[in-house]
Amino acid sequence: MLLVLVRRVGNMVPTLAAVIALIFVLFSVIPGSFMSGLGDDGRTMDPAVMERMRKEMGLDQPLLERFVKYAGATLVGDLGTSFRTREPVTKLIAGRLWPSLKLTMAAMLVAMAIGIPLGFVAALRPGSLVDTVSMVGAVSGLSLPKFWLGLLLMYFFALQLKWLPSFGYGDGGLTHLILPAIALGVSPLALLARTTRAAVLDVLNADFVRTARSKGMSERRVVTWHVMRNALVLVVTTVGLQFGSLMGQAVVVEKLFSWPGLGSLLVDSVFQRDIPAVQGCILVFVLFFLVINTLVDLAYVAIDPRIRYG
Amino acid sequence: MKKLMWLTAVAVAVVGFGAAEAQQTPQTQTPRKGGTVRMTAPYGGSLTSLDIHTSPRAQDDIAGKILHRTLYNWDSAKAQPALELAKEVAVSGDGMVYTYKLLDNAYFHNGRRMTADDIIWSYTRIMDPTKGFPGARYVRFIKGAVDVEKGAAKEISGLRKIDDFTVEMTLAERVNPGLLFFVGVTAILPKEEVEKGNFNSNPVGLGPFKFVEHVPGSRLVTERWEKFYKPGKPYADKVIVLIMGEAAARDVAFRNKEIDTSILGPVQYVAYMADPVLSKGILEVAEMFTRSMVMNQASIKPFQDKRVRQAINHAIDAELIVKRLAKDKAYRAASWLPSSSPAFDKAMKPYAFDPEKAKKLLAEAGYPNGFEFEWTTSPNESWGLPIVEAVLPMLNRVGIKAKPKLIETTVLTETAMKGTFEAYIGSNVTGPDSLATLKCFHSKTPRTACNYTAFNNAEFDKTLDAAGQAADPEKQLELIRTANAILYDEAPVWFFNYNKAVMAYQPWLHGLQANPTELAHQYPEELWVDERSPVK
Amino acid sequence: MRLGANTWIGGGLFAVALAVAVTAPWIALTDPVMDANLLNAELPPSREFPFGTDAQGRDIYSRVVYGAQISLTVGVVSQIANSIIGVTLGLTAGYWGGWWDDFVNGLTNVMLAIPSLIFALAIMAILGPGLVSLLIALGLTNWSYSCRIARAQALSLKSQGYVQAARILGYGPFRIMFTQLLPNMLGPIIVIATLGMGGTILAEAALSFLGLGIRPPFPSWGSMLSDARETIAVAPWVSIFPGLAIFLTVLGLNLLGDGLRDIFDPQATTRRA
Repeated sequence: MLLVLVRRVGNMVPTLAAVIALIFVLFSVIPGSFMSGLGDDGRTMDPAVMERMRKEMGLDQPLLERFVKYAGATLVGDLGTSFRTREPVTKLIAGRLWPSLKLTMAAMLVAMAIGIPLGFVAALRPGSLVDTVSMVGAVSGLSLPKFWLGLLLMYFFALQLKWLPSFGYGDGGLTHLILPAIALGVSPLALLARTTRAAVLDVLNADFVRTARSKGMSERRVVTWHVMRNALVLVVTTVGLQFGSLMGQAVVVEKLFSWPGLGSLLVDSVFQRDIPAVQGCILVFVLFFLVINTLVDLAYVAIDPRIRYG
Repeated sequence: MKKLMWLTAVAVAVVGFGAAEAQQTPQTQTPRKGGTVRMTAPYGGSLTSLDIHTSPRAQDDIAGKILHRTLYNWDSAKAQPALELAKEVAVSGDGMVYTYKLLDNAYFHNGRRMTADDIIWSYTRIMDPTKGFPGARYVRFIKGAVDVEKGAAKEISGLRKIDDFTVEMTLAERVNPGLLFFVGVTAILPKEEVEKGNFNSNPVGLGPFKFVEHVPGSRLVTERWEKFYKPGKPYADKVIVLIMGEAAARDVAFRNKEIDTSILGPVQYVAYMADPVLSKGILEVAEMFTRSMVMNQASIKPFQDKRVRQAINHAIDAELIVKRLAKDKAYRAASWLPSSSPAFDKAMKPYAFDPEKAKKLLAEAGYPNGFEFEWTTSPNESWGLPIVEAVLPMLNRVGIKAKPKLIETTVLTETAMKGTFEAYIGSNVTGPDSLATLKCFHSKTPRTACNYTAFNNAEFDKTLDAAGQAADPEKQLELIRTANAILYDEAPVWFFNYNKAVMAYQPWLHGLQANPTELAHQYPEELWVDERSPVK
Repeated sequence: MRLGANTWIGGGLFAVALAVAVTAPWIALTDPVMDANLLNAELPPSREFPFGTDAQGRDIYSRVVYGAQISLTVGVVSQIANSIIGVTLGLTAGYWGGWWDDFVNGLTNVMLAIPSLIFALAIMAILGPGLVSLLIALGLTNWSYSCRIARAQALSLKSQGYVQAARILGYGPFRIMFTQLLPNMLGPIIVIATLGMGGTILAEAALSFLGLGIRPPFPSWGSMLSDARETIAVAPWVSIFPGLAIFLTVLGLNLLGDGLRDIFDPQATTRRA
């Protein structure tokens, strides 16, 4: 098991390095700069000041030199200084990490709590009304633009019914989390429902289940023991993959609900050309994705002993 | 008998006066001490920095006005700058030397008293040659500041400490320092706190409220600074700034009474004005921004002809756009200077909507079938893409084919400074210093500074130079007015509008100032909430 | 769901969207750009304006109809680009193996690790808003799935008898790949492409929402939705119809993809009982 872990972590490193390099190059050729973004609403920036800012941020040095410095610094955990706040990027990110995690986990929870049972029930009664309705609902959930859904939720539940607050983080409590979590969670919910249904169906018709049935095992035991354990593999994989990419997908929802997470930080930083912050955020997203994937792989091995890596 | 009549008269007068005052009571309430004011920061998703020297953004100065202080404040009632950190100022005969007698009871939030050293240190820091502090463009007007900026001197020679509470400032050019040093980026900061290195997380200033916590992207919490130098102020116990960049989200929050102020966008402006309850709590101010389509005379030939530029002004029904698209949340522009400028000529009429005249002018200039041009724009809803989309059909009708080119706002500024555009639509600050504003059209002003139209008119230059020299303020105003009129005739831009800032406020909030430099910049020591505030 | 229902319904919805896009100049009522009359701003649906008007006074029905052109072009062309890139890389990687396989694998890992919306955002920021930029940005982001599938198929198919026979006959590697292997893996590729198209249409909407979408003034459903954000309380029809258009088209593509998967790949784990 340890060997597998080491191998997986080892696989992460070159990917991470390539991502860092790619992102660095991409954002060094982007037009517009931080300084020109400061003149918002027509307040002109003084050219001499802009030039000094350029020097201060090291943007006048050649590309290769900057990259080497950046890569070297990243290795020791120094992600640079944000152009906007003049503080370390790590600090900027640390302040926004928890809200993002919270939102992603809440969305995943919503997806799992509703999606998995839904898929399960649909699989146990294939072709029934429940099955049809849930699957149509699932496909619809996958076809909705996230922010349109978020907007509808906001106006219906916040403005019309006044049950929930419409924006922001609040004091970190549950009420502010609900609407964004639903908006973000509908898509993985739909996917999980479909995947669970398919996985369960697959297993229900597999040979060893028929064997168990013919042996006279009660339906309930059949379902709970064999089906769940085998369907679990696919479900866990899906949960993992979804979770890994969910943080990146949360960008739009965060922007809509003014949720102070990494996604909205990233978008703001891109528009304001705060390059170190952009690079830092993307790094975190990628790291998150890779770590979750590795954990999923390990869980895969743990759940299904038949799968071993040579 | 006479005595009785006299007493009766007095009694009647007192009663009458008392009755009158009772009717007036709603307006003359005494400010209540206590409570929490919940403001909003509407210009983006975050506050970039609490070290106000580093950021010129309007968003950050909302916090700047709460935590920090500048030498002057903007007096909205008198429409001019007013001394804030000084008791009095003596001006030399030639208007170049200002001697300030500073307040001796101004304390930083760490308990230390402000002295002349702080003024000098702050302004010197701003001229640091290794950093790009936006305030440099203002402090540069002090004699010797340029040397510090170039690295040739360590101190500003024009700033002299006379004693702990007296500082003498010698200017390099004759300007009104009030117009320079009320701007947030010239705030007076405490050296020892800044040098600790974590000033952005622990800002310490002279403002009426001191820092409690900042949740990035969400809110800033501050509480009353007991040692603030204005007696009895601030009234509120706490001021919270909620960061909400989306107008629609602010709308919902305001209606739910979760926030006390909200800058309104055009859509909400209409809705709130139509609502019998909400319309009572609306503050409107004519701000000092001019929105226009800038035509680059160094790009395509048609723009070099005055008649073409005038034709464009006649072809577009700006009135309709202001009414329908901007929902009347703007004032039709006549020339470059906004209506809030003292030099604004109220008799000046904006260009009339006259497509026939436009076609005639175009034909005269040699373009009877119109021409094409590329129109660069940002996505901005007030002076960007939506305006362009509304104008396209209007220009089309007189034969001018405009091709929109959408770019991001950061790229827009770069494009303007580099001159890589034919026409672009944008917003420009046009106040409070009208003379400085018009300098942008002086032929000697480089494009990178702000002469984006490549404007070059000898008569204009002459008039503006004379205005700069004029010692008599009335004469100066007259000359500025004349220069503005020349701009009207030459039409270097399509004059679109001056903006109207609108803020909705809850009925329990009092003390808001109609600040034309930026409505969202409120001096919080004047704000107070009565018992109806839902936050105890 | 019975086999085939997905394909019919999904295919039908998508066909309607395509038909609308193709016949736009004829079925639209007005010019989507020039027929803007501010006096008609934000009118509710009526006989003259079946879907109402937007803030500029333009007929929403006509803009939705023309918007189909842009949104579908973006969806279809980007996805084709994705598939071409993905299949070429995956096919060659699976067939040749060796360092090329390692390289493609590494590249795929990198692309899968970076959130696709963010990558597209970065490219849009570099290239500036516009249709071509959008096609490039979206075309470069989602090729990983096609690549993985193509590679897996190539790996499993290359040891088949007919491939060996072709090699003995002297066919060159490219000829083998594109005439022998490719036709046999078209099924899953098409399924992924169909499902991917829905994703690119949604991605275009998201990018427009963030402000980096299509170049104006031609309408796309995503940019219409983004514009409508402010007016949803006052004029909800401005956002309902473009949103509905996106939803129905993407739904159609998803159903169609499901149906095609049932046809092409009966062994797939998402089959119906």
